Amino acid sequence: MNIKKIGALLMAVAMAASLTACNSSGKPASGSSDKPYIAIVSKGFQHQFWQVVKKGAEAAAADLGVEITFEGPQSESDINDQVNMLKSAINRQPDAIALAALDTESVKEQLNECLTKGIPVIGFDSGVPNAPAGSIYATASTNNYEAAGIAAQKLFENADFQAKLKAGKITVGVLSQDATSESVTQRTRGFIETLTKLVEAENAGSVEVVGHDLFKKAATADVKLTIKVNIPATTSAADMKTGAESLLTSENLVAIFGSNEAAANGILAAANDGSEFSDTGRYKDIIAMGFDAGKTQRTAVENGWFYGSITQDPYQIGYKAVSLAVDAINGKAAASPTIDTGAKWYNAEALKDESISQLVYE
Amino acid sequence: MFNTVKTEQNQPVEVLEARKAFRVKQMGLQKLLALAALFILYVFFCIFGKNFASTGTLVSILDSTYYVAFMAFGITFVIITGGIDLSIGTNMMCSALIGGYLYSAKGLSIWLCLVIVVIIATAFGFINGVLIAKLKLPPFIATLGVMMMTQGIGSIVTNVQTQRYPSGFVADGFYKSIFYKTASSDLFPSGFPSGLIYMGIFFLIAMFLLNKTKLGRYTYAIGSNEEAVRLSGVNVAKWKILVYTLCGAFCGFSAIVYAATYTTIIPGTGGGLEMKAIAAVIIGGTSMSGGLGTMSGTMIGALLMSVLSNGLMAMGLQGHYQTFFTGLVVVLAVLLDIYRNKKANAIKTLHS
Repeated sequence: MNIKKIGALLMAVAMAASLTACNSSGKPASGSSDKPYIAIVSKGFQHQFWQVVKKGAEAAAADLGVEITFEGPQSESDINDQVNMLKSAINRQPDAIALAALDTESVKEQLNECLTKGIPVIGFDSGVPNAPAGSIYATASTNNYEAAGIAAQKLFENADFQAKLKAGKITVGVLSQDATSESVTQRTRGFIETLTKLVEAENAGSVEVVGHDLFKKAATADVKLTIKVNIPATTSAADMKTGAESLLTSENLVAIFGSNEAAANGILAAANDGSEFSDTGRYKDIIAMGFDAGKTQRTAVENGWFYGSITQDPYQIGYKAVSLAVDAINGKAAASPTIDTGAKWYNAEALKDESISQLVYE
Repeated sequence: MFNTVKTEQNQPVEVLEARKAFRVKQMGLQKLLALAALFILYVFFCIFGKNFASTGTLVSILDSTYYVAFMAFGITFVIITGGIDLSIGTNMMCSALIGGYLYSAKGLSIWLCLVIVVIIATAFGFINGVLIAKLKLPPFIATLGVMMMTQGIGSIVTNVQTQRYPSGFVADGFYKSIFYKTASSDLFPSGFPSGLIYMGIFFLIAMFLLNKTKLGRYTYAIGSNEEAVRLSGVNVAKWKILVYTLCGAFCGFSAIVYAATYTTIIPGTGGGLEMKAIAAVIIGGTSMSGGLGTMSGTMIGALLMSVLSNGLMAMGLQGHYQTFFTGLVVVLAVLLDIYRNKKANAIKTLHS
């Protein structure tokens, strides 16, 4: 009776599935090709950052003659999705795997499986921090602590900041996406500690850090600078905006720093896409800085609403991840456990330089 | 005319009986179809997926089924009563977070933590039940509130810190070989999936509760006609509270297997997982309007979703395609449900 109809529906699903499979970047589904196959498991797709990483990986794959797949969970808190992706990648019997782990603990068993099966694992972006010894071939990543330190250095060099610091008690806000991911934590820490060091070089013990237990520090002398850290409840855009708003309305706030694209976007969203930082805006006296790039952040920097931002080199991260994987497949020993892919400070002036502008994805 | 017993919609009892019998027969058919779909999909992915036909993949499919299946078992009871529980995903995550916190920050033994996980989840289920059955809140609203509360409590208790359960390589990680899988051995190169036994036992328990006990009979009865059950002197509130509490307990069992499988629990997550469980129940042929549904259908639904997501990954498709196709399957399953009801209603015309 209606079995026919239901059968037809099922076939429709199957056909739709195969249709999209054919359309998706023309990747052959069954492993028929002789090229080495590298499965890349990233941390997400949510941000344009990953699209540039993918572009770099694809360029390397074309240059080096390998086949790649690039996948990642829909959001950076979907640990279970990423673990499933990694398992699926291992089951596909790749020649190498490139991994940007959301959390090392959750993938330890899979890393062990790769080790026993002899599949080399390459870390990229935040890599796989504290991975079991011998499970990671090498990691292509930005030194996040130092990269964020550049922002602290630039803030300290700023004349307005210096004047206000001399005049009295000030506050600097730091918006951090989470206290979980190694890269975000390192950046937040890099910014806070570098700024603390710079300010305390002149006034020992005059900096306090408040807002989150992970970064908390009490002042041992008269407080000159309060660094206020805010970590929103979830990584959603709405919560990031709320977090930024609470920082922006803090007393004596002179500067604010967002330690990744989501955090910078939160600050931008709280300031009417950044225009409130303009000479006529509500927050005109606040020095705003971000990390990574993206259309709105880039525009804010171009217009001088943001004092400047730090960019990683996502293209190089993707490219070097694949080239490291090829080295591993060819049995070459890794030159060093981490390959720094670099970071740059960019402001309105620097964006006119093509070599920097191309790193700042939109 | 006066001596004919009438029930809702003014249908003679025999018509309702015939209609119900037809729907039950149809449901058996749909279960068969769901099973066939599961098989067809699996074969399809074996042909078109990259190295899909392997025991490694089979184990991965099971791994990603466990936690959804446990939540789905619990919510099957709730949905059969005609209710809904939106809090299961966050309840599961919240109890897992608190358990992980007690383990890592308070140094409690892992076994005690796992027991506490189940107790916490059960307590939230009980709160749902009281809000709905005693305080007469609509299930959607009561469980929406508890969903947000559990998400918040998880973050508050852990101070928005990620919680980690012991991994398989430390002494405390032994619980993994009971609830998830054993370390790899010569006989089982990707580890023996002991989670299958854990899930299997609770599947049988859930099936027994639904089919062979008073609780199960009242679950169906409340879903078919709550008023009639109440009028026949049954304490509906008591049984409803029990159903939601049971659903909470299953969230606790789910939390254990989630922690064992994924080790790391992030605060603020869990929202959306309830929809996976609800989708599994719907695909399994349980009617959202209550009164109809089976536990085996739910099991098939959960497996089908796992095969779909693992299979699409093996074909190199991104996560968003998986979500899309899962959605498509849910819509098809409900279309089938509507079609089935139409057939059942057609019996009315035959009788009149």
